[in-house]
Amino acid sequence: MKNTVIDFQDVSKVYKLYKNDKQRLLSVFSKKVSYKKKRAVDHVSFTIQKGETVAIFGKNGAGKSTVLKMITGVAFPTEGNIKVEGRVSALLELTSGFDPEFTGRENIYLKGRLSGLKEQEIQELEEEIVEFAEIGEYIDQPVRTYSSGMKARLGFAINVNIRPEILIVDEALSVGDVAFKDKCLQKVNKIVNQDGVTLLFVTHTTSIARQFCKRGIVMKNGKVICDDDIDIAIDVYGKSTRKK
Amino acid sequence: MSTISKIIKEHYEWRSQVFKLAKADIVKTYSGSALGWAWAIVKPTITILVFWFAFSVGLRLKSDIEGYPFILWLIAGLVPWFFMSEIIVQGARSIRKYKYLVTKMKFPVSTIPTFVSLSKLTVHLCLMVIVIIVFAIFGRLPDIYMLQLPFYMLCMLLFFVEWSLFSAMLSSMSKDFLNLVKSVTTALFWLSGIMWDVNKIDIEWLKNILLFNPITYVSSGYRNVFIYKIWFFEQPTHLLCYAVTLVTMTILAIWSYKKLIKEIPDVL
Repeated sequence: MKNTVIDFQDVSKVYKLYKNDKQRLLSVFSKKVSYKKKRAVDHVSFTIQKGETVAIFGKNGAGKSTVLKMITGVAFPTEGNIKVEGRVSALLELTSGFDPEFTGRENIYLKGRLSGLKEQEIQELEEEIVEFAEIGEYIDQPVRTYSSGMKARLGFAINVNIRPEILIVDEALSVGDVAFKDKCLQKVNKIVNQDGVTLLFVTHTTSIARQFCKRGIVMKNGKVICDDDIDIAIDVYGKSTRKK
Repeated sequence: MSTISKIIKEHYEWRSQVFKLAKADIVKTYSGSALGWAWAIVKPTITILVFWFAFSVGLRLKSDIEGYPFILWLIAGLVPWFFMSEIIVQGARSIRKYKYLVTKMKFPVSTIPTFVSLSKLTVHLCLMVIVIIVFAIFGRLPDIYMLQLPFYMLCMLLFFVEWSLFSAMLSSMSKDFLNLVKSVTTALFWLSGIMWDVNKIDIEWLKNILLFNPITYVSSGYRNVFIYKIWFFEQPTHLLCYAVTLVTMTILAIWSYKKLIKEIPDVL
C-alpha cells in the first residue's frame, strides 16, 4: 500500500530582491518600495509516495535547493500548497544545523531533540553516530574547530541515523574520501531498502543517482521539465546541460 | 488573533526544547572563557562600583535616599537595567544569532527570542539573589514588600520577550535596525531615570511621558520593592500606563511576526 508523503500543488516561490538592506527595511513599513522579482520555482507540481527514491537534477539556479527548503519547511511558498508528512531529515548544506560553539556530541543531542527524538532514543543512537562519523576524539571538541570534511561526516552521520522518514541528500556526498562516500551510499541504501525511507537525492553525478533512484525529476529555470523514470530523466538532463 | 494562538501553541508544543535551548544559551555565553560564570557577576559589579564612585565620590551628589545609602539605591535600579540592556540588544540579535534554526531546519521561529530572554533572566535571577544578600549585609533584611518582586520581574519579562520578538524580526530583515537599537541603548539608560530619581521631576509633560516608559516602570518598581516600600497597586496610574505600553508592544510584535515570518528564511 502506498501513500503520498510529499505533495506539491502548483507551487511557486518568488524572491524579492531589493537594491540594498535599507530598501528592504523600508519595505517592511511601506509598500511603495520597488524590488525585482526572481521566480525561483515556477508553478511546480508533483507528488512523491512513501518509499520512493527520487533524484532531482538541474543546473545551478534551477530551483532545486528552494524546492528542498520548502519540503523541509524552512522556506515558505509564495503561491500554491505543500503537504509533507513524516519526519524530514535534510542535509541541505554541509554544516546543516550545527551550533559552532557546541561540541559534536552536544550537537547530536541538539539535532536529535529538534527532530523530535526523546532523550533516551538519542542516547541509544549516540554511539552509532559517533562511530559512523569517524571523527574520533574530536567528538568532544566544539564544532567550530572542525574541518569541513569532519562537519560533513558528522552531519551525514546524524541525519541518516536519527531514523528519518524522508531523507533529503543535497550534494553532501561530494565531500569526503571515497571510502567514506561508499559507506554513506551503503547506509543510505540500507535505510531506503529496509526501513522504507523516502529518499530525495540532489546531485550532478548521474551515475550515483542511477544506483539509488528509480525516478528522476529534472528542473530548469524553476520549472519541472521532466518527471519520469530515472533513465529518461538522466537523458533529458544530459541533453539540457550539453546544449547551451 | 490566529497569529497569537499560533505563537502560543508553538511555545507550548516546544516548551521542553525552549528550556533546553535557554540552558544551552547560558552555557554558550559563559563557556570558552577561563572565568566563565564569574563574568556574569564581575561585569555588573564593576559597573556598579564605577557609577557609585563617579556619583558618590566624584560628583558628591547624592547622600542617603530614604535612609538608604546611595549605593543600595543605585543597585536596586541598576540591576534590572543590566537585564534590560542585555535583552534590548541580544533580543534584537536573537534570530540572527540562531540563524541555523531558521534556515537549516524546521523550528518555530517565535520561540527563539523567548529562550534567549529566559537565558538572560536566569542570569538576572542569580544577580537578584546577590542583591538581596548585599542588602542583608547592610542590615536591610527582606520584608513583606519583597513579595512583589516576582510581579515586577514578570512585567519586565513579558515586555522584553515581546520586544525581542519584534526587534529580532526587524533586525533579521536589516542590520540597520540592529545598529539603531545598539546606538539607542545608552540613550535609554540616561533618559529612563535609572541614575536619577524619577519622582523628583518637576516638568509635568516629561513625567507623563516617563509613565509610558517600561524601563522606568520596572526600574522604579524594583526601587519600590527595595527602597521606597510602595505596593504596585498603590500606583494604579503607573500600572495602567505600563499596561498600555505592553499592549502596544504586543500588537507590534504580532504585526512584525505575521508580516515577516515567511520572508525571514529567505533573507537570513
